Amino acid sequence: MSDSAESPTETQKEEIHPPPDDSATNDDKKKIDVLLKAVGDTPIMKTKKWAVDKGRTVQSLAQFISRFLKLDATEQLFIYVNQSFAPSPDQEVGVLFDCFGSDGKLVLHYCKSQAWG
Amino acid sequence: MADDKDVLRDVWFGRIPTCFTLNPDEVTEREAEPYYLLLPRVSYLPLVTDKNFPDVDLLHCPSNSVVEAHFMSSIKEADALKHKSQVVNDMQKKDHKQLWMGLQNDKFDQFWAMNRKLMEYPTEEGGFRYIPFRIYQTTSDRPFIQKLFRPVSTEGNPHTLFDLLKEMCPDALTKDGEEKRFQVVIHGIEPLLETPLQWLSEHLSHPDNFLHICIIPTPTD
Repeated sequence: MSDSAESPTETQKEEIHPPPDDSATNDDKKKIDVLLKAVGDTPIMKTKKWAVDKGRTVQSLAQFISRFLKLDATEQLFIYVNQSFAPSPDQEVGVLFDCFGSDGKLVLHYCKSQAWG
Repeated sequence: MADDKDVLRDVWFGRIPTCFTLNPDEVTEREAEPYYLLLPRVSYLPLVTDKNFPDVDLLHCPSNSVVEAHFMSSIKEADALKHKSQVVNDMQKKDHKQLWMGLQNDKFDQFWAMNRKLMEYPTEEGGFRYIPFRIYQTTSDRPFIQKLFRPVSTEGNPHTLFDLLKEMCPDALTKDGEEKRFQVVIHGIEPLLETPLQWLSEHLSHPDNFLHICIIPTPTD
């Protein structure tokens, strides 16, 4: 991934927006809602809810979180879905949302060390 | 059925004749001969190619442990879909290791001793919770299609490969009276579209427990 990739849109959302009542499919929307949760002693993001482009990769999101938290370049960041598996870095968040999202959002846990193997 | 178990072996031992040629930019004094390998269909390229080969710059895998991590994350993602991760989480670390070692060392029995647990499901359910699949289309800008899809309909009827394609990429299916434009290929063959998806998932998945389905335009010659 190149460093010139832009960060996810910094839409500040403090409350959870309910999914639309009409049957608009996910394909109609280009962004999905992601909720970031810190694990262990990993710093907590001040803004937890983000609208992220569906085509954004897990690696790109991890890099964004690292930069946002001002982590050391050498520090690794692990991302987990459903508190059970770490998706492949090249996986798109849109696919994860379609398969593992709930209540209109994708919850991702992030950690500086391996939390769930 | 005894025949079904044979399918597992056929999938595991499938091979692709491959020819590697050196990039002309890398040729030095003497001419490099083409290099031929019979690659296992189900393995990963970084595992079978020599360190001396020019780098395959897709998902960069500098070491075997990176390939292992990628493999295990696929296994876990597949089980999240099939069993809400219950089966893979009940396995011990050494069981996970056995899956990887079986694949890495081309040991069918070692691999399937563990993998069979990932292929079980409660009898009353009729199948997995959702089927782990990825559909690759040469004519699409998306890397692949992966969505939630149940193996059994709400009425209790088994879903077929046809049902999956109808839902995910209906254009791949041939309409009545039309010429066949696309081939639906898994492990190099075209399974019958009436094949139950649950059966395909249990028998024709890759070792990472995903059904990798390719939609390719029908060859014209």
